[in-house]
Amino acid sequence: MLKKIVRDFCIVFGLVALYASTSRNAMQYLSDKRDRNAWWGTYQCPHGDLISMSYLDFIGSFLLPEDKTRIHPPPYNGRRKTVLFLQGDSYSWHMNDTDFCGLVDYKHIPRRTKLNYQLDTTRTNILLLEIAEREVRNYLSTQSIFEEIIDSANSPKPTISKVVGQHPVYMAGAIPALTTDLLFNPYINQNLQFNLFNYQFIMPIFQSKAALNYYAFSRASGDVVISDDKNYLFLKETVSYTDAGSSYIPIPDAEIEKLTVNLNIIYEYYIKSGFTEVYLAIIPNSATIVQPKGYNNFIPRLQQAVSLKMKVIDSYSFFKSADHEYCYHGDSHWNYWAKQNWLALVNKELVKY
Amino acid sequence: MVFNTLQFLVFFMVVTLWFFRLQNQRARAALLLIASCYFYMARIPEYILVLGGIIVVDYIAGIQIEKSEGSTRKFWFFLSLLVNIGTLATFKYYNFFIDNIQTTFHFFGRHVSFPALKMALPIGLSFHTFQAMSYTIEVYRKNQKAEHSFLNYALYVMFYPQLVAGPIERPQNILHQLRDYRPYNWDNVKAGLARMAWGFFKKVVVADRLAMAVDRTYLHTSESSSLSIFIGALFYSFQIYCDFSGYCDIAIGAAKVMNINLMENFDQPYWSKNVTTFWRKWHISLSGWFYDYLFNPLVLALRNNGKTAILIGLLFTFFISGFWHGAGWRFVVFGLLHGLALVFEYFTRKSRQKLFKGMPPTLSAITGISATFAFTMLAWVFFRAENMHNALEYLKALFAFRGGSHYVGMNRVELVFSFALIVITVGREKYKPSNLIINDTLFYTYMLTMFAICYYFGVFIENQFIYFQF
Repeated sequence: MLKKIVRDFCIVFGLVALYASTSRNAMQYLSDKRDRNAWWGTYQCPHGDLISMSYLDFIGSFLLPEDKTRIHPPPYNGRRKTVLFLQGDSYSWHMNDTDFCGLVDYKHIPRRTKLNYQLDTTRTNILLLEIAEREVRNYLSTQSIFEEIIDSANSPKPTISKVVGQHPVYMAGAIPALTTDLLFNPYINQNLQFNLFNYQFIMPIFQSKAALNYYAFSRASGDVVISDDKNYLFLKETVSYTDAGSSYIPIPDAEIEKLTVNLNIIYEYYIKSGFTEVYLAIIPNSATIVQPKGYNNFIPRLQQAVSLKMKVIDSYSFFKSADHEYCYHGDSHWNYWAKQNWLALVNKELVKY
Repeated sequence: MVFNTLQFLVFFMVVTLWFFRLQNQRARAALLLIASCYFYMARIPEYILVLGGIIVVDYIAGIQIEKSEGSTRKFWFFLSLLVNIGTLATFKYYNFFIDNIQTTFHFFGRHVSFPALKMALPIGLSFHTFQAMSYTIEVYRKNQKAEHSFLNYALYVMFYPQLVAGPIERPQNILHQLRDYRPYNWDNVKAGLARMAWGFFKKVVVADRLAMAVDRTYLHTSESSSLSIFIGALFYSFQIYCDFSGYCDIAIGAAKVMNINLMENFDQPYWSKNVTTFWRKWHISLSGWFYDYLFNPLVLALRNNGKTAILIGLLFTFFISGFWHGAGWRFVVFGLLHGLALVFEYFTRKSRQKLFKGMPPTLSAITGISATFAFTMLAWVFFRAENMHNALEYLKALFAFRGGSHYVGMNRVELVFSFALIVITVGREKYKPSNLIINDTLFYTYMLTMFAICYYFGVFIENQFIYFQF
């Protein structure tokens, strides 16, 4: 009898785990409800996302030093007539209108969310595309942007060409696309890991494995890689030789040309829709700045493409030549100094309007 | 769905427990079929429609072949073959063919252009089409009765443990097992779980660790020393073995838990004393398929030509076998190299026997095993490289005996550990081929130990099994 109860419990538990890790709503609910401070709460290392991913919080050189830099609003007393639409990722989270010069309105559009816009033509409307280097090749060679920053007037969307990798594409019309979101989620394994094992009290087990890998094999686990000088952690996809987002994967000139064509299509579409100007701001991978040997020069090649119409915020050249740390040792993001200087580069453009 | 994921572990637990909860075989078959669909669709859901189409055609063809005679019987047989081979050709070989046609025309100064198909290959397509063809061929040859239950036939093709990378089963072995009620058997559960644990060990601890060095040497061939290139080639021989045989261990174990016996697919191939024996021990289900359905009929048809029939049969079979693995010339070269080795062994059998007769048995065994291993290791280079050019560059670097970077993507401790793992794996299979499960206490200890080893020494990167791509 007991065996049967255990068996049925395991079936129900497994089904619930699969469902909860598949459903986006259930995952949102669960991650919101989990208390980070309780012993059963989720593990989130305060010293950086890469430390959290690799469980290497016992290695002092990766821990965040206390960053005393603070973001100061720019001194600006000029006319305010600009509306800034900033589509960005985690680099531009927590930015607000006071960080920019001359704004009357500021709209932050997190990537992969939608914004239906209607432009006030009496204002200067600037579209700023802030994007991490590792995302550029995949994101800017798809139609996604037209589904996310949407002209309410519904002007026809152009087609841009896919230029990266072998992505599954079905024979148009021959195999109908199935609606299977209820049953399948590409992140189900990460979600299962979160739901079944991401608890504070299990962390010593994960940390012991991380210690074994670090001390015996001189490497981090999973998706994190230790830099050549052993001082930084990098996201594996930014340093591998096979991922599209890597700083070291060879990129043929033909692909740079196609990306330039795509960027021009995006530029022309949004200019035609009423934007005064469209800017591209690529945030370099940590490895690009910290470990430049073997860099594929993706950012300078794209930014310096002669036919590129979109204006660029060239933070790569600035960070490369600056004699200052650009990023945290155990985090995939830039530090406050870098953020402040990036804002200064953006503001230098904004005051022109 | 990939075996070495959390999703699979949870899925396996639910399906197996539910399977034993049901007392009715039809209900069990329905559960397994639904589970297999979920398993297959976890990668690209749309391709279930392609697989479904093949199943429907072959199911109808099987029944029609059984009940008809003469030209109608032939029609259904060839229709089934056409659908299976046609699907395989479209998805797997179309782009390869048009590329080569275009290149040939270009060579002669003419320019032709065909539209390329931009689509991913359905996972395991080569495996389930071959398994489906095996069924219609056996029904056509009257060795197997047609399956009248659509549920059972669909499950024969889709049974999730062997759906995407085999073993390529014959209907005689598996259909009746799927039809009959399989009672719960604790010994089988233990044996199955232990086999799965061994498979996971081979995959996540050995194969995925060796992959780090292999990937590094293939990506950095130009700057690597010949020694590191050699380590890369050596490691790939064991990576592919542990990867594929590890997959088979998990598949066979998962079926065994449900009291279903799948055929063995490996029998310590690297202990083979010649290449002919190697192919009797490596990917046994595929070798057997080609032997029964291609080599034998071909040699029989050409039997009036004496030894030439064997020569043609071997070369053609291995040409097709290489091509089966992938749409690329490097796979063809891989197949032909093995075909030539078998031809060589066939025609020099007597002189080799004479030569080995004069040697002490241990020495002749060591010579045979080493020569066979060295040959297979070099042939794997064509299998692993991205293209023919890279394969030749790799071999050139190997035989250049040059210096360069000795770094193979792991530190010395891990390198020594990797060699130790190879010795442990090969040694364990050679000297303890059966599982270690004698009693419950030993079983639980074994499982806990394997779990701890797999967790602490496993390399958990999202590496799918090598043979899934075929």
